[in-house]
Amino acid sequence: MHEQPEAAPRANPGRAPGVCVPWEEKRAEFPKIMGDEAIVQRTWEENDQLAYMFVWHCLLSF
Amino acid sequence: MSDAMEALYAERLERYVTALRNGKPDRVPVRPLAAEFVAAYGGYTCQEITQDYNKAFDAVCKCAKEFQWDACVGNMVYVWTALTQAMGMKYYASPGVEISADTAFQYLEPPEDAAYMAPEEYDALIEDPTAFLFNNWLPKVSSDIGPPGEANTFRHNMALVKGGMAMLQYFGALGQQNARLRQECGTPPAIGGMLKAPMDIIADKLRGYMGLTEDLLTIPDQVKAACEALAPHLTHVAVALSGADPERNVPIAFWMHRGGVPFVKQEHFDTIYWPTLKKVIEGIWSHGHQTLFYAEGDWTAHLEAFAELPEKSIVFHLDRSDPVETQRVLGKKFCITGGVPNALLAYGSADEVRAKCKELIDLCAPDGGYCMDASAIMQNDARPENVRAMTDFTVEYGKY
Repeated sequence: MHEQPEAAPRANPGRAPGVCVPWEEKRAEFPKIMGDEAIVQRTWEENDQLAYMFVWHCLLSF
Repeated sequence: MSDAMEALYAERLERYVTALRNGKPDRVPVRPLAAEFVAAYGGYTCQEITQDYNKAFDAVCKCAKEFQWDACVGNMVYVWTALTQAMGMKYYASPGVEISADTAFQYLEPPEDAAYMAPEEYDALIEDPTAFLFNNWLPKVSSDIGPPGEANTFRHNMALVKGGMAMLQYFGALGQQNARLRQECGTPPAIGGMLKAPMDIIADKLRGYMGLTEDLLTIPDQVKAACEALAPHLTHVAVALSGADPERNVPIAFWMHRGGVPFVKQEHFDTIYWPTLKKVIEGIWSHGHQTLFYAEGDWTAHLEAFAELPEKSIVFHLDRSDPVETQRVLGKKFCITGGVPNALLAYGSADEVRAKCKELIDLCAPDGGYCMDASAIMQNDARPENVRAMTDFTVEYGKY
């Protein structure tokens, strides 16, 4: 059997798994968040994950 | 749910999970991955169950009740063609549309000069796989979705909205189907999701098999880098599937086909296919999930590599791999499933099926760690009397 080299880390990982539009990118569009920023971030990321799962399931499942 | 049905569910789940963990249950579990077989048995066409998932769900429940299987998949005809049609996907031939109503859906290999990813697109895939899928891949596999920068169309918008809504609906319905199987049939789910190895994805949905084999010879470093780029996303998707199985009882299936003999050289298995898949499997196992290696074809040449994995981290499915070698190399560490040839279920006699089941139980199940199943998904050519023979013989002979 041939030697199995360790997979080298990629130089540019691009968008992280689970992310389409990162919160940081969206956050910059709000001049100021008057109330609880954490709830806005959490729900943004939850919805963003749905878009991520959509396209990956198109590839993997359908 | 009645107490009796809940007790039956618990009994079967215990039996199935014990075997999956390479333990010794009260008897060998019967866990057929029944696809278009459920249509033939239930009186439906392939078109009906592929196009209307509620008919598929009904057909699965009928089989679960009448065969009394220990575990089954809520819908093994996993491609809901109404969804792929809503998105204009080009890579399937749907029963009753492009092919006859009684033929299982077919995957269409793209022509080499019209693959869904060009060789020069590897860098974009490696750089940002998720953006690549939206911006490059979807516009190529869909007749409706356009690439960024191109004039927007009504059909483009509809394909994305309808595809997203349909997927949400379908996955929600699959959850309800698992609940129905539990309540009406006392049947646990066989698997917790379905994924693929990185290199299989490149062969199946991006470059095509012919394109992949050419790339392996001409630009192997880019193929490897692409597999490495896909791997963390596969781990992420697999772990996200745990919402359907929070107790981590059942394995996440990986359909493995293009990495085995004779599709790629041993060198490419050793340097690309296996290292990138292994990382995914180890990542999934670190979250407590087993993986089912649904090893289509003959993987005998690679059994020693699979034996490197942590004990119990996988379940190995026998298709055309050598059963004796598989049991010798993997049997002490991992559960083995399957091995009844589909041709035997389609063309053999019930006695021949029983003889094969006895051979498999004697070989693979002396101390547990085996689940009875066909070699590959059961389609509409499997004879019901042979599936009955496989089931009933195992229930009787497979007792410990």
